[in-house]
Amino acid sequence: MVSTEQVPVTVLTGFLGAGKTTLLNRILTEQHGHRYAVIVNEFGEEGIDNDLVVDADEEVFEMNNGCICCTVRGDLIRILSGLMKRADKLDAIIVETTGLADPAPVAQTFFVDDDVASRTKLDAIVTVADAVHLDAQLGEHHEAEEQIAFADVVLLNKTDLVDAARLDAVETRIRKINPYSKIIRTTHCEAELNSVLGLDAFNLDRVMEFEPDFLESDHAHEHDDDITSISFVSETPLDIEKFQKWFGKLLQTRGQDILRSKGILNFSNTNDRYVFQGVHMLMDASTMGAWPEGQPRNSRVVFIGRNLDSMGLKEGFESCKAA
Amino acid sequence: MDQPPTKPPPGYRKTSLEERALKFDSGAPVTGAVAIGDTVASTFGDGIVRFFDPSEDAPAEVHAHNGVVLCCAADRNHLLTGGDDGQFLRIAPDGTVNELANFGSKWVDCVAASNGLAACSSGRVAYIWTSDRSEAAELEHSSTVGGLAFDANGRRLAVAHYGGVTVWEQKKHRWKKSKLFWQGSHGAITFSPDGKFIVTAMQENALHGWRLRGKIDLAMTGYPAKAKSFAWVGETPYLATSGGYEAICWPFDGPQGPMERPPLCVAQHGENVATCVEAFPLLNAVFVGFQDGAVLVSEIEDSKDVMALRGPTGNEVTAIAINQPQSHLLVGDARGHLLWAPLKK
Ligand SMILES: [Zn+2]
Ligand SMILES: [Zn+2]
Repeated sequence: MVSTEQVPVTVLTGFLGAGKTTLLNRILTEQHGHRYAVIVNEFGEEGIDNDLVVDADEEVFEMNNGCICCTVRGDLIRILSGLMKRADKLDAIIVETTGLADPAPVAQTFFVDDDVASRTKLDAIVTVADAVHLDAQLGEHHEAEEQIAFADVVLLNKTDLVDAARLDAVETRIRKINPYSKIIRTTHCEAELNSVLGLDAFNLDRVMEFEPDFLESDHAHEHDDDITSISFVSETPLDIEKFQKWFGKLLQTRGQDILRSKGILNFSNTNDRYVFQGVHMLMDASTMGAWPEGQPRNSRVVFIGRNLDSMGLKEGFESCKAA
Repeated sequence: MDQPPTKPPPGYRKTSLEERALKFDSGAPVTGAVAIGDTVASTFGDGIVRFFDPSEDAPAEVHAHNGVVLCCAADRNHLLTGGDDGQFLRIAPDGTVNELANFGSKWVDCVAASNGLAACSSGRVAYIWTSDRSEAAELEHSSTVGGLAFDANGRRLAVAHYGGVTVWEQKKHRWKKSKLFWQGSHGAITFSPDGKFIVTAMQENALHGWRLRGKIDLAMTGYPAKAKSFAWVGETPYLATSGGYEAICWPFDGPQGPMERPPLCVAQHGENVATCVEAFPLLNAVFVGFQDGAVLVSEIEDSKDVMALRGPTGNEVTAIAINQPQSHLLVGDARGHLLWAPLKK
């Protein structure tokens, strides 16, 4: 392979009116000499102030591999390959999705398409949520839940329009769906740019840097919401063959319901850390050098998805322990 | 660009073609190349178009687009280009630029020409101009157009998109459509020289073909990478394709075409994926450019006769074109390096 620098891509999701366009315009006016391209959908809410705005079609299609959860965005492959032909290099690309779009096909495009993966990398999924309306939207549209579930960052916007108790309740609701996202409270999307861009959240090295929640064993969860999360920790080293067999089968058979999975694993036959990151049935994994001296050497995994209780995850994970 | 230039491997000796070539560093990715008579036109990621003429020492430069030249096609002795600046242009080798259409912030993704007709696509719509260029016919599709191709006499336009191909046929000054279905996203498209087959390059590691009579499917799969480039070669003819570790050449003789027949594979270059192919009709051969920048030429039916035209450079070959007299070859890569050379000493 000829190595080329990968341009980071931030995926911006959120329901209509939550403040995506406000955030986009903030980013573009505060860009400090950086060159960004913005991929928007055809039915944008309002004008975006940038000469590098590209209209997309948001056409999602299934891969011919016969798996119903493997969908990619065809227009994204086309547009990203066009952007990569520019003479001047881009510092970042921002993909805005419509309010009702499922973010999975966007994320999967970066796992599935070789051309896209070699020239660009998914930086983070940022979801803008409306503090006033999120509660109702979560009840009405499963897409709203999915956008929260996929998020690396939730920008909880319009916090000035609700009282403190209501705000805490909304945040608790977000945490229930996705305890591993970073929540930033804003009023007019006034977030620091470096808390939204350049996060490298999909970099396997960063999987380690989860919220402290990630370290808690058997994370308590409730069943009010359709989407839940669950995590496990094992102090006993795992057997690599047992793990690959169990995990491969799990993603293959239940990948449709598993929105995101992440983990760092301690295998019995190696001193290296093994890190993985998945979207539905697609997974990216690699070894990441030796465990740091003096730090706990344990295996941690997290799942966000639907019907997690029916997957025998705890038993499956336990059964991977090395004899 | 920040990367250090890649050096050829130790002990590497220049090919004789490299020694007599004009070398050129444009600074912008080469996005396409096509023969216009004696000259070869090449297009770039900074909007520039260059015409290489065998009788000139340096290429003629035209500042055509305000952005990437995304696509190009020969329209008799002119060049058609589409760009991410929304412009659809017709450019003469003397540098005269004529704007045929302007779509503003929408990209012009594909262009094609045949027999006086010119076509381009922007988003889901393909536009066809007849020779007087007064008004375009607008042909709408269900998803973004991935490829356009006319047949040899310009009676039909094939449009690739998600889910298959729409074939438009001119009947009594109207364009009538018929559809060919195959799941997946279809890009670059071509008619076989006899007009009986259509083949598309897919967004997956495969091509798909249809025999138009009976709408018979031809699945061409098993590629390790996407097959983005193809060329018709020889009398048979073969469709030479990129995307493999060598040029994969499918036979299209007989009523069945390549159905249930293995392709011929020529010009292997280690574990490198072929990224660009071009026909060399004079020798019934194919030029094959690779991911590592190497370019080989191989006869199709006598595959022992493989010759290296250019050694590895570390930069993916993105364009190869030979001028119409078949005297000069142009090679372009993803880093903007060009090589323009006479094929004979
Ligand atoms: Zn799948
Ligand atoms: Zn439960």
